[in-house]
This record gives sequence, C-alpha cells and structure tokens, in this order.
Amino acid sequence: MNGKPAAEVPTVNTVLGPVPAHELGVVSIHEALLSVVPGAEHAFDVTIDRVEVFETLAAKLRDFREHGGGTIVDSTGMFHGRDVRLYEALSRSTGVHIVVSTGMGPEEMLGGYFLTPQTNPPTPWPAEKFADLFAKEVTEGMVVPRVERRGAAGMVTTTATRGGMTATDESLFRGATRAAMSTGVPVSIRFGADALRDLDVVLDERVPADRVVVGGLDRAVAYAAGWPLEVAGRGAYVALDHVGTEGAEYATDAERVALVAALVAAGHGNRVLLSTGATGVSKGEPGVDVPYSHVLTAFVPLLKAHGVGDDDVQRILVDNPRNLLSVR
Amino acid sequence: MPRVNTVLGPIPTEELGLVAVHEHIGYGMPGSELDTRWWKSPEERYDETVPKLRQFHEYGGGTFVDATGICNGRDVNYYQSLSEKTGVHIVASTGFVGGDTALPFFARASVDYLAAHFIHEITVGIGTTGGRAGIIKVGVSRGGRMTDLDKRIYRAAAKAALATGVPVLTHLAIDAENAIAIFTEEGLPLDRVLFGHVDDGVNADKTRDTWIADQGGRIGFDTFGYETELPDPPFWARPRRQRLEHFLRFIGEGRLHQVLASADANCSPLGWPGVKGHTVNYIFEDLIPDLRAAGLDEAAITTIFMDNPASFLSITN
Repeated sequence: MNGKPAAEVPTVNTVLGPVPAHELGVVSIHEALLSVVPGAEHAFDVTIDRVEVFETLAAKLRDFREHGGGTIVDSTGMFHGRDVRLYEALSRSTGVHIVVSTGMGPEEMLGGYFLTPQTNPPTPWPAEKFADLFAKEVTEGMVVPRVERRGAAGMVTTTATRGGMTATDESLFRGATRAAMSTGVPVSIRFGADALRDLDVVLDERVPADRVVVGGLDRAVAYAAGWPLEVAGRGAYVALDHVGTEGAEYATDAERVALVAALVAAGHGNRVLLSTGATGVSKGEPGVDVPYSHVLTAFVPLLKAHGVGDDDVQRILVDNPRNLLSVR
Repeated sequence: MPRVNTVLGPIPTEELGLVAVHEHIGYGMPGSELDTRWWKSPEERYDETVPKLRQFHEYGGGTFVDATGICNGRDVNYYQSLSEKTGVHIVASTGFVGGDTALPFFARASVDYLAAHFIHEITVGIGTTGGRAGIIKVGVSRGGRMTDLDKRIYRAAAKAALATGVPVLTHLAIDAENAIAIFTEEGLPLDRVLFGHVDDGVNADKTRDTWIADQGGRIGFDTFGYETELPDPPFWARPRRQRLEHFLRFIGEGRLHQVLASADANCSPLGWPGVKGHTVNYIFEDLIPDLRAAGLDEAAITTIFMDNPASFLSITN
C-alpha cells in the first residue's frame, strides 16, 4: 500500500523512530500517558508539573517493563494532553517503547475550530480534511502546536459519542480510516453506542479489516450483545481494553477471561488484544488508576488458570499487536 | 482610587488615555493550533504586531483591550512583553468568546466553577503569568441564539463581575433579551456590560441596540473597518457609510454617553487569514477623521474614546 518492498523488515512508528516490529515485545494497545481533558490546561485549579508528571509516568512504565512489558501505545490522539517531547525522554529513560497516536474524537472533545469554523456557514470539517490532518502526523510528524513537528504517529485513533455516532463522528471515523490507508498505520476506533454499525462505517472506506482495531468491546453493552465475536468475524481486531475495571458499565475480569477463551476457541485468537485503558496521569477528570502492568500481573494468570494456552497468550500479547502496528 | 487591571498590573483609570476597547493581538478558534496552515514563526508574529502597537502609541493611543477568550490563543506572557516594549497598556480578558469556543473541560463545568475560575483570573492572575484580567468576555455561539452553555457562561460572568467589580464585554448583542434576563436575575447593573458587535454586517439588523441602551446597557460599535469596499472583505463586513450612519444616528438620539467604538482587528491572526490592511489604527486613520467630518467635536470624540471606556473599565464595587 505504501510501496514497501516485501523483503524489508516490518517496522512500527515509535516516538523515538521506526523500530523493527519484532522488538516490541509485549504491547498494551490502548493506554494513556498524560491525559488532559481539553481546556483543563487553562484551569485555575489544575497544575501540570512537568517533573511530577515525568516521575509518575516513569515509575509506571518501569513497573510495566519489570513485569515483562515492552511497548505502550498512547491511544489518546492529538488533542488530549499528548506531549511528544516528554514521551521521547520517558522512552529513553525507561527503555519502554512508546507508540503515540494521531486522531481525535468524539465530537464533544473537538475544539470549535473543527465544529464551527470562522466560515459562513460554519460547516464542520469533512472527512477529507481530517484525513489530511491525521495523515500528515504520520508522514511529516506530530504537531507540537505552533512550534514544530516531531516523531511519526504510529496509529490513528478516534472515538464515537456514547449516545450514538454523530455526523461529525462519522467524518472523524472516515477521515481516520483514510489516513490509515494512505500511511500504512492502523486505525483504532472506540465505538459509541453500536460497535457493529460504527465498524461498518470504517469498513465502508474499503480498508482491509485487519488494519482496524475496535476498542471498548469489554463494555457491558458489547459483552451482552455478543459484539466481540461479530467484530472478530468481520476480520477486525477486538480490543478488550478496560482490563482491571469492573462495575455497571463493564464486564468483570472473569467475564473477560471467558470472552478471550471463547474467541480463541472460535478461531479468533489472532484478533484479540488486551489493555487496561489506564491513565498514567489524568488532569481535568478522574483517571483510570490501574497499573499498565495489570494485564501481565493479574489478568494473564487468570487466563492461564482458565485454560488459555501459552501460545495463545503469546499471540495476544505480542504477535497480534506486532501485526497490527507494523506499517504496511 | 479608580483602577483598571492591565497585564502589567493595575493602573489608575486616569492613565488609560485613548482606549481601543475591543481588539485582538491574535485570535484563533480552539484547535486551530493543530493546523500548521496557521503557524508563523515568533519573529513573523512580532513583525506583524509590534509596528501596529507602536503606531497606535504614536497616534496617541493609550490602551489596547484584548478581547481574546481563554481558549482562543490568549497569551498573557506575550501581551506583557508587548506592553512593556511598546508603552501601550494592554488589558486581557477572562471568559469565553462564546460557548462554541469553550473547550470540554469548561463546557462541562458548573456555573459556580466558571465564576470561580473567572474570579481567580481577575484577582490572582491568569495561569502562571501573574497578569490579571481586566474584563470578562462572554458571547453568543454561532447559530443566532444563546445556547445553554452560553447562558451558563453569562451567569458565571455576572457573578464574577459582581464579586470583583470588573466589567463584562459581549461578543454579539443578538438574543439580548436572554442575556439581560440573566444579568438582571444576578443583580448586575447593565452599565457594567458592553454589548458588542451591534454594528456587524451579519447581525446589525437583528440587534436591538436602542432597546438594550434603553435598559441601561453600553453599546459597542466595534467592528469598524470591516468594510465591504475592501478587496477581500470578511463575511461580516458592512458598507462603510452604512455603518457610520448607523453610529451617527445612534449617538444622535442622545446616547453619546453609552457608546464605545473599536475596530476588532487582529494584529496577527492565529487561526484565520485575517483581513489585510485592517488594524487597530483604523481608529485614528479613518474613524476619528470620519467622525470629525460628520460634525462631531473634540468633546464628543473624547467622550467616546476616553471617558466612556474609563467609566466602563474602572473596577466598580
């Protein structure tokens, strides 16, 4: 798709540059390093102390690495606190590969520039403009606003509105997909209300399903509706990305274990991904206070106790993310 | 002692001089900083900005009120440096140009939180800059009517204005009935509010400027210079004579003490192309000469550009 000769080693875009895909190790695909609700950076009662943020994130990344982790993917996109230079320093300091994403969403999270631009009429951005914005973050570098571009994004990520995909969400989804197709990185979507409908919007762009990961499939609504199996059946990756979080809106870890086993048994072991959806540091809202290492320390033992084999666990933690993230 | 908050600290109202009451060092919608199309180097920005402020100062301009809201590229450290180097007093805003420019963190916040944030920016400072806001910006989102978020922001602004004595400046004066209802409910006297953009090309005929003035509000004819006669006018432009006549008619009805005037220019636009040739200095180069030619005497010009802003901007408890 981007003209790479087959003999070349597949690489993944990390914040420190392209890394051979086989060097990623265990990957957590949907995490957040510094997560800032847009606007919170201006709030009178929010302090973002760079040293404190670095120390907190470094400790969590080291913990992840000590328990066998190799790579963290920050899947919060370009408008939720992303700090490329901080992540470069963290990756160097901790030895953990960091893949950083482009993309935005849902609509509520967008700046007014994209929703009510200074045009007459104030027409929200169409898919094609989002596609260009996101693609350049892969091909030319991620924006450090008004300063420079640095580092290539390794994934395009977007999210739909919980109550149901809006017209702008659809533009984001299509734009994100087109950016993924033109650059060779994968596209990650968190569904709004209907995972299958939202996935179908993406697939309508004619992207190969194995370039797509659907997140949030361990939400209670998805679990109850059987969407994980359906999504895998369509060929896309299934991310159970809130491991360690339970409660009314989510499956329990026990249910997640059963789900993984069922997906493996159905022949979809090569489409399962796991993550905690943790926030390393959260500003502007309560975070998800689960260690990045939780999948390795708490969940994998549950999987193995349930009978999921070592090969399947390895596939889920290492091979699937490697295949997804390899630029092609 | 009547005083006004500038980015370099409070000054006596007596020091304001001639005031450009609704301007921008630079304005951009939130998120525009992600689009490299609008990026300029610091030296380009400086080059587009300093000469205009210097010229304003040389013409006799005293104070530049920057009406840029919290999420629109407001940069108080930069304003402090510009003010120091050009000798122009700069007043910064707290608040939001409209709900559609308030990012999610603020869009989700309660009225009380918003008020607390505005009060902090006025009494303690904006971010880590130490600069205190001298006005509270509010506005009507695109679409013609106040949204629920707009209303929350107006209410928070009223609370902050009452708590601090700092005035409110509105982006647009359409749907004024709703705005005035909120201010009145909160107990804010309407002469602490400057209802802005009554003269703009899109909204002038939907704006009940005389009615607002009759309720006691101040009235801003503050998009002077955005003229349809320009080579590339913006969509809110208006024919030069038409705007001038609107203004003259308004003050001719005995409302000289309620009007303020400005150009709403960007020295260096942050997220839109700007309008070439349109600067704050329109006030000196075009507007004041036009007003003199229309028969306004020096006392009237002083009232519009010095006395009325002084009364509006002074912290009033």
